[in-house]
Amino acid sequence: MNVTQDLSFLSLITNASVVVQLILLILLLASGLSWFFIFSKMFSIRAALREADQFENEFWGGTDINNLYQRTLSGRTPVVGMEKIFEAGFREFLKLKRQGRMDIGVIMDGTRRAMRAACQRELDALELHLSFLASVGSVSPYIGLFGTVWGIMNAFRGLSNVVQATLAHVAPGIAEALIATAMGLFAAIPAVLAYNHYSHDVDRLATRFDSFMEEFSNILQRQTGV
Amino acid sequence: MTPPAERKEPGRKWAVMLAVLVHLMFAAVLVFGVNWQTREAAPVIAELWNSLPLAPAPAPKAAPEPKPAPAEEPKPEPKPVPKPVPKPEPKVEQPKPAKVDIALKEKEKKRKEEERKQAEAEKKLKDQLKEQELKEQREMLADEQAALSKQRDEARRQKTAAAQAAAQVAAQARGMAEAIGRIRSHVRRFVVMPADVAGNPEAEFEVFLLPTGEVLNVRLSRSSGNTAYDNAVERAIHKASPLPLPVDPLLAGRFRELTLKFRPNE
Repeated sequence: MNVTQDLSFLSLITNASVVVQLILLILLLASGLSWFFIFSKMFSIRAALREADQFENEFWGGTDINNLYQRTLSGRTPVVGMEKIFEAGFREFLKLKRQGRMDIGVIMDGTRRAMRAACQRELDALELHLSFLASVGSVSPYIGLFGTVWGIMNAFRGLSNVVQATLAHVAPGIAEALIATAMGLFAAIPAVLAYNHYSHDVDRLATRFDSFMEEFSNILQRQTGV
Repeated sequence: MTPPAERKEPGRKWAVMLAVLVHLMFAAVLVFGVNWQTREAAPVIAELWNSLPLAPAPAPKAAPEPKPAPAEEPKPEPKPVPKPVPKPEPKVEQPKPAKVDIALKEKEKKRKEEERKQAEAEKKLKDQLKEQELKEQREMLADEQAALSKQRDEARRQKTAAAQAAAQVAAQARGMAEAIGRIRSHVRRFVVMPADVAGNPEAEFEVFLLPTGEVLNVRLSRSSGNTAYDNAVERAIHKASPLPLPVDPLLAGRFRELTLKFRPNE
């Protein structure tokens, strides 16, 4: 009558069925990867924001555009973010200008295309792995739910052989099954939060890049016009 | 234009370390959290114990019985045995052979004197021995008397304890019988007697109860021979759920499996 079960966390996992254990393993991997991406994205997006702030300060601080360009070329660290867009645009602008008499519209179109391409690349690098976070956030609850359903199915199947069904017969099975759901939610919640946060950050960066491109092409157009 | 080189994500090591840290923290929370929950489940057991304080009152009475018995037994036995054995033997026998061997004709007088002295000494020794024996006998008697009185006390105590225990058992048995009687009469109210019951056959049921008195399961362990009556009683037991359990938690604990006997004419 007296069923005393060891309901400690480890025993629940070790006593779980193979399917549930497999699901737990998958979820653990997903969670580990998503946390890795969360932190690495946090670092890279923070760096991009800081870099953009710094460059905007320099650019609007009255520094000569040619000086700025020379410095980006001679800099030891690889240029990223807004600086990269500036460099690509200005290089294309200089190249087109050197080719002799050309229509201003053509030059500006080429410059803008080059800047657009650099901007796309930068944004792509920033958005890398964000989709992984999104899919972990949306799928891992379902994986966890699957593990739970499977575990509860087993718990109730084992119950069919028992004449007097008590809660003690079902409880450990359900508890071990619910661990899968907990694991899925643990993987999903931070992933969803991070995805929303980071995609918002990347969007804001994209608008900043866009406005910078517009303003910079305006400046270039003014220079060629003079 | 050169395609941008694969850029290195900044702080890769940090990201890995932090991710591992987060998971370790999660595991720790889970492990300790679930342990905490199992400890929280323990009070369910403690509640059962809470209702017991009525019962412990008889338990300590029975416990002290064995304690006095071992303390009294060792005292009387070791004392009388060692004293009488070693003293008389060595003192009387050793001097005789040693001094007879040395005896010479010239020293006969001296020997006689010595013999006299020896005799006197022996007499003294014998007197002493007699006194000692008397003393020891008295002591032994006293010890025996003490032991006897202690045994009597013990027997009295055991008798009273046995009487108490018997009274408890009897009280419990009476309580059990009363409770079973109450349950049977409670069930009998629900029996719908079938029409064709011949004689007074006895049907025996094994009933499994929940602690609340609700009927979990009923098993016919001995049929009365009349299936209609058997079924009627079984239905009645199910209908009578919850059965009236005794209030005493110690007694109620025994009412998980019952054998109930029913006769048509009671």
